[in-house]
Amino acid sequence: MALLEVSDLVVGYDAYPVLHGIDFTVEQGELCVLLGLNGAGKTTTVSTIAGLVKTRSGQVRFDGKDLGRRSPSSRVASGISLVPEGRRVFPRLSVRQNLRLGAWTRRRHSKIVQRQFELVYDYFPQLAEREGQLAGTLSGGEQQMLAVGRALMSRPTLLLIDEASLGLSPTIARSVWEVTSRIKQDGTTVLMVEQNAGALPFADRALIMEKGTLVYTGVGDELRAVNLREAYLGA
Amino acid sequence: MITELGIAVINGVFIGCVYALVALGIVLIYRASGVFNFAQAEFGTTGLFAAYAGVVLWGWPYWLSFLFGLAVAMAMGLATERLVINPLRHASRVTLLVGTAGVALAAIGIQFWKSNEQPIRQMPKIVNGIAAEPFGTAVTYQHLVTLGVLIVVAAALAVFFRSPSGLALQAAQQEGTAAELVGISVRRVSMMTWGIAAVLGGLAGILSGPNLTFTAGYLTFGAGAALLPGFMAAVLGGMRSMPGAVAGAMAVGVIEQLGSLSIFGYYTGGGAMMLFFFLLIVLLVRPQGLFVRKAVAT
Repeated sequence: MALLEVSDLVVGYDAYPVLHGIDFTVEQGELCVLLGLNGAGKTTTVSTIAGLVKTRSGQVRFDGKDLGRRSPSSRVASGISLVPEGRRVFPRLSVRQNLRLGAWTRRRHSKIVQRQFELVYDYFPQLAEREGQLAGTLSGGEQQMLAVGRALMSRPTLLLIDEASLGLSPTIARSVWEVTSRIKQDGTTVLMVEQNAGALPFADRALIMEKGTLVYTGVGDELRAVNLREAYLGA
Repeated sequence: MITELGIAVINGVFIGCVYALVALGIVLIYRASGVFNFAQAEFGTTGLFAAYAGVVLWGWPYWLSFLFGLAVAMAMGLATERLVINPLRHASRVTLLVGTAGVALAAIGIQFWKSNEQPIRQMPKIVNGIAAEPFGTAVTYQHLVTLGVLIVVAAALAVFFRSPSGLALQAAQQEGTAAELVGISVRRVSMMTWGIAAVLGGLAGILSGPNLTFTAGYLTFGAGAALLPGFMAAVLGGMRSMPGAVAGAMAVGVIEQLGSLSIFGYYTGGGAMMLFFFLLIVLLVRPQGLFVRKAVAT
């Protein structure tokens, strides 16, 4: 049984349909990349899985259970954590306070919270060095690390990352993907939304979206093929 | 002159305590919802009316009436959040501001309607008597209780903002979507904030009520008017700083009193004019307020 099953998902904003009945699954322990150009519906897909956007029809099942109309906070408690596009750190709180809030659903389990702090600081040592600094004063790359770290604090089973590389230099983007790969190796399933095909080498599987539909699913060496970029991403 | 100054400072500090309770509520709601809450003072007047009804009309013990007044103020705050702020959460800040002004006007209307037979009332003091008379001005026990409550409230808020719930409140204000994504219920946080702010308003109303007679709209534009001074105090403090709001309130209270000194010829409105110039100068020199660093980029 797949960890995440999305079936015939239809989502829209007011009168405008965005997702036209997409189907895909993410297996336990996988690092999946959801690729597509602007307006393809990638952010809507992960936002719907995280509970920020309501479905019109179709189903999102997580760990065998239909998520239905469950709130974002209840989805976090059940093991889904989203790193939103644009980082959205709490700018006037310190790095440590941001991370502490990431563990909101686990706040009564101090040992788990402490362990997650250690894990996040192991992935991102820069955050440990800057733990007293206000998040709004960090560089773009550091804010992205903080956003990923904050999402990890709830000890998720499924980590959704929306456009981690957006606005980052190629070197910093690569280092964020490398850590994402480590997170996957440590047992967390990852679904990463990207416009940047540079994320492909880190993925076990790629899903490509176009205008609200899924147009391609590929695994392994297929992802390294140059024509993939040309065919779907215009690169 | 020294005596006059002394009296102005002492009176200013005690009036400032009431302004501070109003300003703290204004800052709390601004930090949590980004709303300029024009109903903040009416939470206080409504709480005062309720406490008065308990202690005078129904003969309840003072402590029970006091708590009843706070509970009614809190209920009004929660109702405002549920019935006005939440339905308008996607509206502009101006719309929200008008919404809170509407709540204040509705409350004042109900108070007028319900107090026709006895328009002017006097809330009894918690403790009667004069504690001291520095510079010949009376410092009552009621003043000292108000000062004590403000100190306790300020300390409690300082602790609260470092607690998990306090951090959640700040997070919800700074990045509502991200707060939802870490599992914080922004709806619950918003209700908690309005509830706390309304209790602060209630404290301002019930504690200042016994110093004067009160009518409908007492704390908004009546004898105990604290809404405008509360806003001034909050702005001086930078709209986000709790210690800033308290210090701002003390400054507003004292400057208002200094305006009524004999060197200004007891000019009616001297206090308001001095306040205006003080606020203008502060905002020209430090537009972000006295107690807040410049905005952090995201």
